[in-house]
Amino acid sequence: MNICFATWEFPPRIVGGIARHCNGLAKALARNGHEIHVITLDFPGTPSYEECDGVMIYRTPTELGHPNFLTWALLFNHFIEKKIAGVNRKVDFDVVHVHDWLTGFAGISFKHQMQKPMVATIHGTEVGRAQGLHNPDSFTIDGIEWWTTYEANKIIVTSDSMKGEVHGHFHLPQEKIEIIPNGIDPKRYNAPVNRSAVRGRYGVNPREKLILCVGRLVPQKGIEYLISAIPQISESHRDSRLIIVGEGWLRGHLERIARSTRYQRKITFTGWIPDRELIALLNSADVLVVPSIYEPFGIVALEGMAAGVPVVVSDVGGLSEIVEHERTGILAYSRSPESIAWAIERVLSDPDHSEWLVRNARDMVQKTYSWEAIAMRTAKVYKEVAG
Amino acid sequence: MPNNSTDEPSVPFERTEEFRLLRMLHNIGATKPEKSLSIHEISEWTETEASEIDTELQKLAKQGFIQSIEADGTTKYHVTLSGMRKVLSMYS
Repeated sequence: MNICFATWEFPPRIVGGIARHCNGLAKALARNGHEIHVITLDFPGTPSYEECDGVMIYRTPTELGHPNFLTWALLFNHFIEKKIAGVNRKVDFDVVHVHDWLTGFAGISFKHQMQKPMVATIHGTEVGRAQGLHNPDSFTIDGIEWWTTYEANKIIVTSDSMKGEVHGHFHLPQEKIEIIPNGIDPKRYNAPVNRSAVRGRYGVNPREKLILCVGRLVPQKGIEYLISAIPQISESHRDSRLIIVGEGWLRGHLERIARSTRYQRKITFTGWIPDRELIALLNSADVLVVPSIYEPFGIVALEGMAAGVPVVVSDVGGLSEIVEHERTGILAYSRSPESIAWAIERVLSDPDHSEWLVRNARDMVQKTYSWEAIAMRTAKVYKEVAG
Repeated sequence: MPNNSTDEPSVPFERTEEFRLLRMLHNIGATKPEKSLSIHEISEWTETEASEIDTELQKLAKQGFIQSIEADGTTKYHVTLSGMRKVLSMYS
């Protein structure tokens, strides 16, 4: 099939999980013999067109800007739409697949102008991300999300909890929503690394317990609750260190919380780091913590499992579907530093049990979350809507 | 999963002036050297006094979120990769 992806983020323009999702899925679909064209936004230092592992990637510049984000989003959708139309003249797409509301406008126009089906993956909702609709922009985004799901011939969500959220909030028929989880390439994360050298780069000595947290520094990731758990963890593990990887607008606030714990020297913020370094860190950590308060899927937990690090995650959304408590990882109550501290101690205090969790988790990732299997399920949805 | 309820740490959802400025620079497309803007141009976009903007720009530059270049006989500013990631984290 000839498939068009419309996404506002694609590597190296990585904001959240959408870029990784689109990259993994596009490459797997190409390996399965489909023709994949990704239309995305430009990014400094990247070419306007390139082919990568069989995927054709078009990066369109946004010629017009606007201080208001929603107006800017509308403008860049116009440029994405123009690019889709241009490529479609040569390719004749069978389906357009949009990712979140951000490219909904372009997908809806394509659907009506070309009389071709549109599939939309809803990676998260505004009402979930913002934990409510608190301002006019949120209400507008919520409306665009509803409109995108209404217009789409089929909706894909990555977890059962997201299906419930999308079905309940947008009043969509259950049969319109397909659950297809996120995937990863396990081999990529199971990399041999020099643990002491990697830890040394972050000032962590071999005796210390490296607690790793990876995520955008935004409220939904719940990182403040992990930071608040550090004093309790330090009582039983004086040699513990917390490394927080990621960037976001909440960073200043989180750094202030870290200072207020009086354990600031045990907490390091790295900012954004390249994927290679992230994989090295995952392979060098003693525990990976995902303390989110809202998480439609939680791909970072899978990445940790593939890298062979024990995972502690909040019992919310997709995370509680990925991790089986005390079999493939440890679940903790979200928003509870005490519960997070307990879960981390459970891992750090019992290395044999942790190794068992890691073995189970690796098996589960291999069997359930390979991109090949996920690409086949996605192609089945394309065939269904394309008739 | 033992749980003890705790007071929720407060989260400052309000945006700082410097972050508002960074977002605006990003949204109007000042994301590469050739699209850099002078203080005068930024002042027109934001309808804010140039002297106020200068303080915020210096803070952003110090944090590595914007970069300045000399062009057309004046200093111009654009958002760096780190600054783009900071802004985009709000929307994804």
